[in-house]
Amino acid sequence: MKQFRMVGADAVAELDDEERLVVARIVADVALLLGADAFGEGYDDPAPERDDVDSLFEYLRGFEESIREPSDPAILRLLPNAAPTDREVANEFRRFTDGELRATKTKRLRRIWDQLSSDVTSRNSDEWIVPADELLATAAALTDIRLVLASRLELVSDDDADQLHLEIDLATQALESDDENAVPVDHERVWLGMLYQALTWLQGSLVDCMAGTSEETDV
Amino acid sequence: MDTQRDVDYGSSVATRTDDPWVTIVWNDPVNLMNYVTHVFQVHFGFTLEVATKHMREVHENGRSVLSTGPRETMEADVQAMHSYGLWATLQRSGE
Repeated sequence: MKQFRMVGADAVAELDDEERLVVARIVADVALLLGADAFGEGYDDPAPERDDVDSLFEYLRGFEESIREPSDPAILRLLPNAAPTDREVANEFRRFTDGELRATKTKRLRRIWDQLSSDVTSRNSDEWIVPADELLATAAALTDIRLVLASRLELVSDDDADQLHLEIDLATQALESDDENAVPVDHERVWLGMLYQALTWLQGSLVDCMAGTSEETDV
Repeated sequence: MDTQRDVDYGSSVATRTDDPWVTIVWNDPVNLMNYVTHVFQVHFGFTLEVATKHMREVHENGRSVLSTGPRETMEADVQAMHSYGLWATLQRSGE
């Protein structure tokens, strides 16, 4: 993996096939959390026959769910409470913004998924090219992914984030040294933590690209 | 940038009595300092200096008041912050 740098008007990072797969997968997972249809499926298949009444009920159910506060803390982090001290204001905000926010976030994730899943033959390198006018949207999508990972990793305070780095360093050392007395390693947590760190590093470089070009693009 | 509005009221965030609502952005362990600064510049039209000042307030004090005004405007600001993954809330000024 190589971080983003400006090449002409585009920001370009490099991800090998395995890294692409991992990032595309988490992109699709976050979109699923937001209620999107699964990415990469059903392109060729016609939609299954549906009863109109079923569709209506599904629509109504979706509406009902969308105005309630999400119970999954990761989704709540993507669509937070806008007024914790005033339930009426919070509910009204959610009712009017939930659908649009989900659509905006899903659209950005979909775009990354398309970029990363493009056919190998249609690209001749590991490059992930983000056009100049999509830098902020891409950075925002990377934030959403990191928010979900952070929620799963239970990162609540700045100290928790520091602690995660320490934890991963220790786990890496333990795995490398093969020391039987080393602390036990929670492999899933370390894997998620390393993905979180890699995306943090990638996003940081993308924002540096934006800041470097902001004089031309932001009026 | 779909949510960006062309209203520029960002140069002053002093609370006035005719601005009954405020938008607050809260600290979190995920958002990067350079990203938060950039989002403040793009959405509120702040200079780099003003955006950095607000980012530091969020990071060091846990929160910063980003805008003041009528409720509808604050709702639009909060929605924009949520679209960028920042944790923002609105409340009546002085609460």
